[in-house]
Amino acid sequence: MKIGVPKALLNFYYGPFWETFFEELGMEVVLSEDTNKEIIDAGVRESVPEICVPIKIFIGHVLNLLEKDVDYVFIPRMVSINEGEIFCPKFMGLPDMIRHGLEGLEDKVLTCHIKSESDDISDYSNYLSIGNTLGISKEKIKKAAKVAGEHWKKFRNYNKNGYTALESYNLVYGKGKLKGRNNRKKGIKIGLLGYVYNVYDSFVNMDILNKLKELNVEFITFDMIDEDELRNNIDDMDKVLFWTFSNKLLGAGYKFFRDMEVDGVIHITAFGCGPDSFLGKLLEIESDETQIPFMTLRIDEHTGENHLQTRIEAFVDMLKRKKLKAI
Amino acid sequence: MVKAYVGIDVGSVSTNIVALDENYEVLFNYYARTNGQPLDAIKAGLEKLKKELGNNINISGVGTTGSGRQLAGVMVGADVIKNEITAHAVATTHYVPDVRTIFEIGGQDSKIILIKDQMVIDFAMNTVCAAGTGSFLDHQAERLGVPIEKFGELALTSTNDVRIAGRCTVFAESDMIAKQQYGFSKADIIKGLCKALVRNYINNLGRGKKLEPPFVFQGGVAANVGIKAAFEEEVGHEVIVPKYHNVMGAIGVALLAKEEVEKKKGRTNFRGFNSLQTDFVPSSFICTGCSNNCEVIKVEMNGTPIAMWGDRCGMWKEKVKRAI
Ligand code: SF4
Ligand code: SF4
Repeated sequence: MKIGVPKALLNFYYGPFWETFFEELGMEVVLSEDTNKEIIDAGVRESVPEICVPIKIFIGHVLNLLEKDVDYVFIPRMVSINEGEIFCPKFMGLPDMIRHGLEGLEDKVLTCHIKSESDDISDYSNYLSIGNTLGISKEKIKKAAKVAGEHWKKFRNYNKNGYTALESYNLVYGKGKLKGRNNRKKGIKIGLLGYVYNVYDSFVNMDILNKLKELNVEFITFDMIDEDELRNNIDDMDKVLFWTFSNKLLGAGYKFFRDMEVDGVIHITAFGCGPDSFLGKLLEIESDETQIPFMTLRIDEHTGENHLQTRIEAFVDMLKRKKLKAI
Repeated sequence: MVKAYVGIDVGSVSTNIVALDENYEVLFNYYARTNGQPLDAIKAGLEKLKKELGNNINISGVGTTGSGRQLAGVMVGADVIKNEITAHAVATTHYVPDVRTIFEIGGQDSKIILIKDQMVIDFAMNTVCAAGTGSFLDHQAERLGVPIEKFGELALTSTNDVRIAGRCTVFAESDMIAKQQYGFSKADIIKGLCKALVRNYINNLGRGKKLEPPFVFQGGVAANVGIKAAFEEEVGHEVIVPKYHNVMGAIGVALLAKEEVEKKKGRTNFRGFNSLQTDFVPSSFICTGCSNNCEVIKVEMNGTPIAMWGDRCGMWKEKVKRAI
């Protein structure tokens, strides 16, 4: 049986888990292609105009999988991975939205509720409904979830050791090579804030990671930081945000600003994102207080026409000049 | 012989060249229409520079900016090739160090740049709608039979407030004719037009942005005192127009070239005035390598490709690099 896994949204965080899980169950895993213009166009065409860009792109990936003749498309309902917090509501409604909003998917959405106390989502009870749908025994689900969980932890360890999620993904599959750590350059360093699907989808963000490398800029993302450390940085707030990944970004942001370990902070946000309107404001305030420059990059569906690259260049140019003058 | 740093700003409408001396004084300042021939425009400007100052200066650094910056950079052997946002921001912060908001209106495009602590924090550009640019004014000046140079002064003599609905050039024009028929004077109408342009500009580019003083107004249109006054009225604050307002991009990149060369201890890549004789041929094609269908630009020198850009994947850029 062919299970389609969209290479979008949280797949940049949980992909290694889900892929391994289905492989362990003896399924053929079919990934959607990397985001490209056709995928975006199809997603935009098939979604309601008001929804945020990452969801539109996700829909494009689902359609891409349909073309690949998969039996099911895997769309988990992400509910919570931290007590008292939830995922952005769009994640929670995603399976329904796809099932009822797109033609040809009524019987093809393979879903499950994911609820957990921590980022580790390997508790097999999350996946029992999948066993029911596919007619697979509890024992097998249990075992697959365990193997997948271990695989995912390896991936996260690379990630937390300073590799990007993309590099970590390759490393955990034995591709790509380890780099010599401690190659700290004298150049500038940026805190790059954004949800994994905004930071790691090189098509929508005009390849910002490579652009930064080209400009000789070191960067750090939230997923490179330990979950507990992210949490510690927002502990002193009277009230945190409702959404877990937004809180992770906030924790990372506060760390970047307060530890003074970066020269500037860039927030990549997507057009139409609700949670980021809160987050962006909080970061802005922190930038004012710490005097560390802050810039927002907004991703929209008309990639290529926007000035993402120029924005980054201009920001980095000025950071470099600032540093040069300070010496 | 004094050391000079040259900045070249090649836009779709105009090509500007400046030369600065060691103390940032502007020695040479050239502003000409590009007319779709960027190479010719650069050549003409550099010829003029050579003729006027060639014997007294030693070109110690060159930078290029504007939409034609890559091409220009290859042609002259630039030390820095920078986007126009950086270039403008560098020049403006040189003259007005604490600037927060830059209004830039050129012949066919306009932009707004927000600065904080000398850092670009946001900007917006408008390249599609003429209603917020110089060509809008040119056009209306012609209609009213007022030379564009007189436009601004005339606006200042008006004592009436006429609101011209100027969402786009077409509406503005019909509204203007109507207001003329009501018997408003030319001065009143021109003042109304200036305000309409500024309103358009702010609506287009400033929307959702917090505009803070000091304000600096630059670009070709900044010479127009009527528009400057309209900006001041709109933002309720003084607006500064720098002396070299129409060549700020070129000045910025000249400053950057100076910094770059100093960082490398004095070696410039400038290919010399003779490089103008070399035959450069730019062309473009649509790559069908994948579904991105990038428009790739290629420049050939004496028949061999020496630079390519516009490819999202960098495959063509790499190819040329390896070939050289
Ligand atoms: S967090 Fe923002 S970008 Fe992500 S799904 Fe929710 S609204 Fe969309
Ligand atoms: S240049 Fe690269 S990204 Fe662009 S169409 Fe060709 S192969 Fe695709």
